[in-house]
Amino acid sequence: MLKSNPQKLTEALAARFASPTRSSRLTVVVGRWLGISFTICFLTGLFSHGLQNPPSWMFFPTSPSWIYQLTQGLHVTAGIAAIPLLLAKLWSVYPELLKWPPVKSLVHGLERASIALFIGSSLVQLTTGLINTYKWYPWPFPFRETHYWLAWVIWGSLLLHVAVKLPVIASHWRARSTEEVAGGAADGGVPGVEKSSGAASPGRWSRRAFLTGVAAATGTVVLTTAGQSFSWLAPLNFFAPRKMGTGPQGVPVNRTAAAANVTELANSAGWSLQVRHGATSREFSLAQLKALPQHTHELPIACVEGWSQTAAWRGVRVRDLVNAVGAPAGSTLRFTSLEPEGAYRLMTMAPEYARDEKTLVALELNGSVLDLDHGYPARIIAPGRPGVLQTKWLQSMEVL
Amino acid sequence: MKASDSVRVARAVLGAVGVSLLGYGLLGLPTQLGPSQLIGLLTWMAVAVLIHDGVIVPLSTLAGAGLTRAGSTLQPVSAAVLRGTLLTGAVVTLVAAILVKAQSVARGTTVLEADYAASLVWFLAVLAIASAAAIFALERRASLPGRIRR
Repeated sequence: MLKSNPQKLTEALAARFASPTRSSRLTVVVGRWLGISFTICFLTGLFSHGLQNPPSWMFFPTSPSWIYQLTQGLHVTAGIAAIPLLLAKLWSVYPELLKWPPVKSLVHGLERASIALFIGSSLVQLTTGLINTYKWYPWPFPFRETHYWLAWVIWGSLLLHVAVKLPVIASHWRARSTEEVAGGAADGGVPGVEKSSGAASPGRWSRRAFLTGVAAATGTVVLTTAGQSFSWLAPLNFFAPRKMGTGPQGVPVNRTAAAANVTELANSAGWSLQVRHGATSREFSLAQLKALPQHTHELPIACVEGWSQTAAWRGVRVRDLVNAVGAPAGSTLRFTSLEPEGAYRLMTMAPEYARDEKTLVALELNGSVLDLDHGYPARIIAPGRPGVLQTKWLQSMEVL
Repeated sequence: MKASDSVRVARAVLGAVGVSLLGYGLLGLPTQLGPSQLIGLLTWMAVAVLIHDGVIVPLSTLAGAGLTRAGSTLQPVSAAVLRGTLLTGAVVTLVAAILVKAQSVARGTTVLEADYAASLVWFLAVLAIASAAAIFALERRASLPGRIRR
């Protein structure tokens, strides 16, 4: 008999799925946590994108030197925290999926379509974002471009969702909201569930206990992974793809010399760094670079994948090389790597970094000659830049 | 301006900005993804929703119903500890399982070097022991004389 009436069927199903933990108040609380995570991810992601593909108005902070370490560490950590939060948020509104009729009007249909897009893109964004940090790419689309455009879709959907649900959000913003929440049922609450206001019947979960459980699960995945980005959490780093202090000279490696196909060129005895400024061109052999004034700075290398590592870098100041070819201090530079190919073979450096005293053509790392996998014979290290722009195996520097 | 008016204005502004950003992202996607990549992305989104709505939520709801039965003899706080433990264990297992799978396919020298399966076993063991001890202590305290109900 139920089959002849889909509405009764879905209402029965929704009732089966109803629980004190599936209430509008719970959804609002988890939604706030998730909204904060998504917003951190969106803003730090835009910053990272701007550093790599700078629009004309882009600002390039070089101080504090750990700024990118912080923003990208937050990006990846907030993304990891968002995984249990998204699951909890979607769990709390699951009966909504079973509402009948599925589409009541054009506006209602559009709203449901926007929710489907929001959920689908959020699930894909978090899954691919996490797996990308494992250097595993099992999807048929380019990660970086998709991640960037989906971020706009998701954050736009978030604002639209808040606009649509604003009355429900407002009425459940505080814990003891008035009983006139009855209207909330029409806006997405589960009928009959509001009255329980989080109290638990025997064996069931109360709303507060559910929130505590979600917070515990979120806190656990954050604490056991964030040590790849934040050194004070390194002892708890059990489930992150990277560990601090690993790799040659105690610094992790993303792209090896072998993978970049530069081993022979980098080891060549005849290697020299070409420095060009208009018609002026100078070549610096490794011995000549070592004869220039050397400077040591503690700087983090921070990858887009969230891991980072602070190390002691020693080498020649880039601004001294700019000076050596008679170029003005506020010049924009272009560096070329020995890599025969690769997306980061060419790197443009804004004047903010070029004139910073901490920006080095590094020859040594943590007290010994740069390892081949860290960019021997010479690499760039600049404060506050994504790791992919810390060009390894330098070939030339050009003043633009 | 009345409160309801300000809510209406806020909703309109949020909605308009949201639709613009959403549209910007949707229009941006085909500028950098080819048709087959877009179809791939849509497929991933559809499969993600199907796995979530068709498998994860129904299974976790079933597990919750089972716990309601099993946990009805426990103190509410013990039942909550049990559920929180299972939830935390499930989320960490999900993350660790993906790591182990990635280890078999990923490339790179200093990535995924740890023994994640062993870490997971240790983590789950510590979690299980800690929550069992907590539940035992809670149940024992509740059953002490002088309490109204066990």
